[in-house]
Amino acid sequence: MLAVVRRLLLFVAALFGMSLLVFAALRILPGDVASVMAGVNATPQRVEALREQLGLNRSIAEQYGSWLGGVLRGDFGTSLLTGRSISAQIGVRSQVTFPLIALGMLIALLIGIPAGCAGALATSRPARQSFRAISIIGGSIPALWGGLLLILLFGRGVGLIGILPSQGFPQQGWQNPLQAVMSLLLPAMTVGIIVAAGIMRYTRSALNEVMGSSFIDMGMACGMTRRQATLRIGLRIIAPQLVSVIGLTLAEMITGVVVVENLFALQGLGSMLITDVGNRDLLTVQSELFLLSAFFLTIGLVVDMLHQLIDPRLRAVKGGIQQ
Amino acid sequence: MSGNIEPGTTEPENKEPENIEAESTAPGGTGPGNKDSAGPQPEYDASTSETTPDAASGSTDETLNALSKKPKGRRNWLLALIALIVVIAVSAGAWVFSSLRSTPASTGTVAKSVTIGLKLAPTNLDIRNESGSALDQVLIGNVYQGLVARSSENKVVPAIAKSWSKSDDGLTYTFTLNTGMHFSNGDVLDANDVVWSIRELVDKQYTDADVLSTMKSITATDDNTVVITLNKPYSALLWALSGRAGLVFDKDASYDAKTQAVGSGPFLLSSFRQGDSITLTADGKYWGSDKAKTQEIIIRYFADDNAAVNALKSGDVQVLAPITENLASTFSNNDDYVVKAGDDTDKFVLAFNSKGTSTSDKRVRQAIRYAINNEELIAARGGSDAALGGPIPSLDPGYEDLTDLYPYNPTKAKSLLAEAGYSTAKPLTLRFEYANIYGTEIGDQLKSQLKAVGIDLQVNVVEFSAWLQDVYTNKDYDLSLVDHNESHDFYQWADPEYYYNYDNPKVQELYAKALAATSDEEEESLLRQAARLVSEDAPADWLFNYRVTTARVKGLSGFPVNLNQSLLPLWNVTMRNPA
Repeated sequence: MLAVVRRLLLFVAALFGMSLLVFAALRILPGDVASVMAGVNATPQRVEALREQLGLNRSIAEQYGSWLGGVLRGDFGTSLLTGRSISAQIGVRSQVTFPLIALGMLIALLIGIPAGCAGALATSRPARQSFRAISIIGGSIPALWGGLLLILLFGRGVGLIGILPSQGFPQQGWQNPLQAVMSLLLPAMTVGIIVAAGIMRYTRSALNEVMGSSFIDMGMACGMTRRQATLRIGLRIIAPQLVSVIGLTLAEMITGVVVVENLFALQGLGSMLITDVGNRDLLTVQSELFLLSAFFLTIGLVVDMLHQLIDPRLRAVKGGIQQ
Repeated sequence: MSGNIEPGTTEPENKEPENIEAESTAPGGTGPGNKDSAGPQPEYDASTSETTPDAASGSTDETLNALSKKPKGRRNWLLALIALIVVIAVSAGAWVFSSLRSTPASTGTVAKSVTIGLKLAPTNLDIRNESGSALDQVLIGNVYQGLVARSSENKVVPAIAKSWSKSDDGLTYTFTLNTGMHFSNGDVLDANDVVWSIRELVDKQYTDADVLSTMKSITATDDNTVVITLNKPYSALLWALSGRAGLVFDKDASYDAKTQAVGSGPFLLSSFRQGDSITLTADGKYWGSDKAKTQEIIIRYFADDNAAVNALKSGDVQVLAPITENLASTFSNNDDYVVKAGDDTDKFVLAFNSKGTSTSDKRVRQAIRYAINNEELIAARGGSDAALGGPIPSLDPGYEDLTDLYPYNPTKAKSLLAEAGYSTAKPLTLRFEYANIYGTEIGDQLKSQLKAVGIDLQVNVVEFSAWLQDVYTNKDYDLSLVDHNESHDFYQWADPEYYYNYDNPKVQELYAKALAATSDEEEESLLRQAARLVSEDAPADWLFNYRVTTARVKGLSGFPVNLNQSLLPLWNVTMRNPA
């Protein structure tokens, strides 16, 4: 219990630190939203008037205070540029990015873990080498290039087997689930293949390490074949490590998919961040970054808790102490 | 390499029948019996027999069985897997294909909905505060209307005012309005709304308010007549009123101007998804004769050029503007599409800081102009842009072909540089900063062209907002590039405070006279003289006049080709599906 409270306190402290860091870092950027709004035909007086109107003339401390106050009340503010509530905007964009990441991760796991196991279990030299080569090549495909190839293969109206939409997200969004999933398939594959290579590499090397351990010998002594022991005991043992890697990769993917979002003309969180930074809509950017860091920290929290669930040894240790 | 992609591409289909991958590996799962799993991964047999002969003694039988089955079992398993994947892929493909085609466009009919692909998305809809031509493009003439409007030849034509007259001294303009006008919310539109809108513009200093700085008063003499009086003649008044300054808003309506729009035009703005799309719906009760011919027009924005091209190819959009000349080639060779470049007022201005450390020397500026090979730049972009030798493009009053003032002549450039005191021993280094929206190619090309005459160009491609800070506000630059797309923007050269730092009293005087001219001929001739003076002083090189290329499917008609990045009336657009 104490550990959980400490973990949560740490979580809050980290969030507060993030808010300061994000706010300060964004003030270093040159230019401001008023001059972007006014454009290249505006008089300096007009830029000044806009600055006044948008509250950009207030002191830094005052701006930080009012923003943090809003965040504490759960109000992330209204974008200076779009005039919409920032949380609503993030909500809309999340409907693209999070399903994309989930689908990409699913594809990555379906390819990566089996391939990693196969790589670890392969005994002949050429087989091991080719698995290694596949993981290296897969991991080094640039997303842009992989995506273009997939479009050339499967893009509707463009590809050889033109069956999948290659750009855009349906106007109706998730009210039309079939089309929504269809529009995410190609981008998810693009992301998935790259992530799969990483997971494959990780699974293989972690399994290789475990295979030399006494757990496997024990399993085999109890009558399992080497492969059975590896898959049933080895995988179980590396599961916590795998979960950590998956958690980290998920966090990375949120901003990492921006190239893919652009290529497939999807309006996700990554492209939103980049547009807003470009427009110097700092209030929106800092709220976005704040929420994203909260998300990263939450993933860390979830991963920790999953470890407890997956790894009975951790529970056993704790139980021992309690007794 | 492509072989590497295939395992991935077949995966999603596996999602439905998840058993394929899951069973073959069974990670931590229920553990299939030895007999089931012995086939697929025969490699283990070698290892068990080599490394653990004694430990595996309990399962010797299975091992032996597996060994004997190995060759055949492996092949069968692989074949079965491949066959299954192919069957699933094909059936899933067929299913998807049929379900996506389930709403086929009936042939030979006029489409109810047309989708248009554009590039630059507006961040919000507040046309009175937010700058940028993306808003003019989609809103003016479609949702909002002005007192007067622009034609595709950039001439002033009637809109809310059906006619107007100008007094001989050029100080009084009388506008006669149409009758029976109303806004989309049903409110009546009359002279009072016009007067209120323009007074608001001036009082609140909205975008473009400065073009009305010479206005003395605006009054409604009756419901259908508006009179504008000026302090001094202003020849560009009508043209200015055809842009944002003349827009008429409903004084009684209250709405969030950033996310909604209530105007008097032929379309209603029914949805705005920022950065993604705008949906316009025909207003069935529109007052004018230019009623929308298509019920619904969806405007989609594509940041990525390839995605835009794919959208046109797959039929998700029916027209794309702009499309880069190089990408357009796939459509120009195809009979199903029409590709056309339109005239425009976009000027790619390579400005030389007239007060810069070395660019304040006129010889340096002239040398740069001689060193630039404009034809080569245009050819590299596909060849549809027009050469431009001065600040006024062909669609604006006062245009004159000035390209022969500074023809490409590297020898002359070198001698001018030598005169100015630069040599191979003491080369000229210049900083060139521009916004990343124009791509990196143009910077590379200019760098190599100027290198040929001994100028070392240090290219710095930055975000637009950083450019605004460094160049536009602080004027801290040697060379800068911007696509000045607005029409009638010669004032930039007559304003010594503008970021060009160009200050020539003669030009300012000519421009003031041109504005005060009471006849079009007089105005044009004065502007022509001023433009020539500017070009001779070489405060910039006008790299080219960008002409926007539009690609559309054959059945689409009525889509504007000229000026369509700032003026895009859509009422006439119709899409006839091929019979």
